[in-house]
Amino acid sequence: MRKPRLPEVTHLQFLVLAVLQSGERPGRSLRKAIGQYGVRRTAAAFYQMMARLERDGLVEGWYDQITIGDQAVTERRYRVTPAGAAAWAETRAFYESAGLAAARERWSDA
Amino acid sequence: MREVFEPAHADLRIAYLEARQRARSRLALARLRILYAARVLLLALDCGRVVIAGTLAFDRSHPPQLPGDRHPQEPFTMLVYYARHALRLLLREPGFTIAALLTLALGVGANVAVFAVVEAVLLRPLPYVDADRLAILKHRDQRTGLTKQDVAMGDFVDLAARQSAFESIAGYGSGQGLVFGFGDPFRVSTLGAGPGLLDTLRVRPVLGRLLQPDDSRPGTAPVMVLGYELWQRRFGSDPNIVGRGVKLGPRERQVVGVAEAFRFPPAATVDVIVPMTVPATAPAERRSGWWPYAVARLKPGTSIEDANANLAILSTALQHEYPRSNQASEYFALPLRDAVVGDTKAALLLLLAAVGVVLLIACANVANLMVARSLARRREMAVRMALGAGRAQLVAQLLAESLMLALTAGCAGALVAMWGVRGLVALLPASVAAPGLADVRIDGRVLGFTLGVSVATALLFGLVAALTVKRESASGALVAPGRVTMSRTARRATSALVVVEIALAIVLLVGAGLILRSFVRLLAVDPGFRADHVMTMGFAVPSDRYKDADSRRGFHDRASAALRALPDVRDVGTAVVMPLTGNNWTVPFERVDQPVAAGARPPEVGWQVASGGYFRALQIPLVAGRLFDDSDTPHTRPVVIISEAVQRRFFPDESAIGRLIQSGDGPAEIVGVVGNIRRADLRDEPRADLYFPAERGPGNETTLFVRTTSEPDGVLPSLQGALRAIEPNIAFLEARTLSDVAAASMQVTQLALWLLGLFAVISISLAAVGIYGVMSYVVRQRTREIGTRVALGATRMDIAWLVMRQGAAIASLGTALGLAASLVASRSLAAILFGVSTSDPATLAVSAGTLIAATFAACCGPAHRAARVDPARTLADQ
Repeated sequence: MRKPRLPEVTHLQFLVLAVLQSGERPGRSLRKAIGQYGVRRTAAAFYQMMARLERDGLVEGWYDQITIGDQAVTERRYRVTPAGAAAWAETRAFYESAGLAAARERWSDA
Repeated sequence: MREVFEPAHADLRIAYLEARQRARSRLALARLRILYAARVLLLALDCGRVVIAGTLAFDRSHPPQLPGDRHPQEPFTMLVYYARHALRLLLREPGFTIAALLTLALGVGANVAVFAVVEAVLLRPLPYVDADRLAILKHRDQRTGLTKQDVAMGDFVDLAARQSAFESIAGYGSGQGLVFGFGDPFRVSTLGAGPGLLDTLRVRPVLGRLLQPDDSRPGTAPVMVLGYELWQRRFGSDPNIVGRGVKLGPRERQVVGVAEAFRFPPAATVDVIVPMTVPATAPAERRSGWWPYAVARLKPGTSIEDANANLAILSTALQHEYPRSNQASEYFALPLRDAVVGDTKAALLLLLAAVGVVLLIACANVANLMVARSLARRREMAVRMALGAGRAQLVAQLLAESLMLALTAGCAGALVAMWGVRGLVALLPASVAAPGLADVRIDGRVLGFTLGVSVATALLFGLVAALTVKRESASGALVAPGRVTMSRTARRATSALVVVEIALAIVLLVGAGLILRSFVRLLAVDPGFRADHVMTMGFAVPSDRYKDADSRRGFHDRASAALRALPDVRDVGTAVVMPLTGNNWTVPFERVDQPVAAGARPPEVGWQVASGGYFRALQIPLVAGRLFDDSDTPHTRPVVIISEAVQRRFFPDESAIGRLIQSGDGPAEIVGVVGNIRRADLRDEPRADLYFPAERGPGNETTLFVRTTSEPDGVLPSLQGALRAIEPNIAFLEARTLSDVAAASMQVTQLALWLLGLFAVISISLAAVGIYGVMSYVVRQRTREIGTRVALGATRMDIAWLVMRQGAAIASLGTALGLAASLVASRSLAAILFGVSTSDPATLAVSAGTLIAATFAACCGPAHRAARVDPARTLADQ
């Protein structure tokens, strides 16, 4: 078994990857979803974070055209890449194993 | 930046569009638009913040570090630290912050508003290719000092052929015309283009071709070029318009092309361009028969000074060759921008200087506030020094605070300017015809200026405050915090600042006072006629229906009778030249019995064509003889009326009535003498004027002058109705009351008065606040001394006088310096002043008195507080 090591993604990035596990989403819906966890980021800060995730190959972003009334607008949509899915799974596994190990530790102390 | 802004902006836009669909009213839509614009602006700022923060300090590696991992030594982090600290301190003292922000925002705002106008009028390039090489030809009559823009055709032909400084010189004329055959006849602005005009201006065709030199030759088929706006507006951008005939005035002209959108003269609309004939050679007897305007393009590398040297040589040659028409006549070229802007340049620069002074005063005041505040923070500074902060760090902190204040004030100032600039443009005289004026905006250059002014402001007041920080007093502040006083430097600095404020305020006050006196003098000037209750209206009758003088005279007779029959109308007259609009057309004056010597040029007198009713409508008094009347017709002998000035100058000891003078139609008899009027301008000396009878040869286009018994505005519809009943195709031009014309002639003085007056009031108020602050501090500082004095028997009056004396010393020094500076500065006002010297003692005295009274009032509060100091309590505190 591989030795567990500290995950490379932050809590916020983990949250974003987690939300994207359920499928692709537009940026504003993603921002709203992480907002439900009490995360408050300005649009600029949020998209800068998304740009970094894209740069590191964890998510993929593209523009999609939608129509509102008679106006066409492009919005940014995102989906998780295989590398992103792996990073998320790895982080989750790390915390799960760390949690289990800690529990075992407590039982053995007692 | 783009990867952050674009998706975030898309989200904003989606939210906006969704909200827009739900909006039910126009108000809601407008609100949404404003909100959207504000949010985009904030988003742009936030993107900048996020990207800069990410790049410089907080994100050197991925994944992002926790907030605690920042590197405090990095310059950007330090900057952010200083900025945050400054912001916290400013927010902690809202009273100080609001006072300083308001003062600076008003100062910066006024500067930005005036600069926006200066940018539009003086700095923005005129909309022509290589516009700085374009110049307007003018000539000056050295005998009278009068300058005119029109050029005698003979001189134009000779100058164009002989000059060597210009790539081209082209004649032009502006006018109005009626277009028939496309529904109701409509009025268009016409540009008469001499050969080469459109090449000189570098105008290109959009459709077809432009005019060619052949089009200007007599006898060729009449053609025209449409202006771009008219082609779009009236002809629906018809691509097949080229080749079609359009009836302009009495003649049908073939459209040969459509020009690109341009204006010439720079603020005039060009609807139609028609060829203007310029003869190849000018016959000697017709040299002054026709006066086109002339625009020239300098050769590359030739300066306007070189061109003027060339024109001076040519003027001298023409003076020798044609002394009768050219003696003392001097041609010169003026850069197109100067010709367009005219006197307004001086007024605008004056205004910029005045707002600059207001900003300096504002800076001085804020610097004073900062010094007073730094005193209150002495303990904080002392603690920081004790903990190892260097003087440089404290100075940097104070400068960061100044910068924060000034930049916030700069943003607020830009908002003030956006609002103020509209008011300023509305105040500018209509005679300012700079093309940029229609589009004064807060653009990149103006925002750059705002930033520059804000930073300069911050340095100015921040440095004064920062210089008062001293290391050696730190221990004292820590040991006895209650007895912290200003250092000697700081005390001197604050007093000096108030002296400067008072001196600057005096300069503005003297300027405003001088202009006020000029304005009052102008209002009291008797123009020689009565402008109240007179309606003026230009009109034109179709020239194909009124081809000769008889038919036009018939129309005028019918029109006069119809208008006189209207209720509320007392007198009706017509004239060509509108008084008080700067017109200085002249005509040679020569007595038949005393001809001018051969080779000499006759003197010039003012020229006007007017009907007898004009004198009655304007109540210009008849001094001798008669006015023009029905007996003067196109077929009777020529007659003229002279003004009293002509009588005095040319017929000093005899009656002029019945004497003959030379006129274009041969000898004309003087039938009347009327009072002098100030024709061109209220500042004008009453000039010698010669009136020719409109009755003998009325033109197709003229101006009506109607004296009414009621408010003149009210009669306009009935005037127009009566004239239209006689001639349905009549075209009405500008209509305004003569009082409005008179008021417009004083607009530059009025503008200067309003603005300088406003600035003077602001600066007095700021100076008063400044001296109040200083005296309040002085009283606080001397409380113990005052208590001791009272205990030793000083009366309240003695104490009050003690304070007042110190205030009076500052005020006196400031006033003396201010008066000296005013004597120099007010010289720049000479062009605007009327009937008052730049060193008018009364104005200087009243200004000094006003300021001393204001400082006295400002000292009263502190003096009152000083007089009420309770010695028992003060001494007990010790």
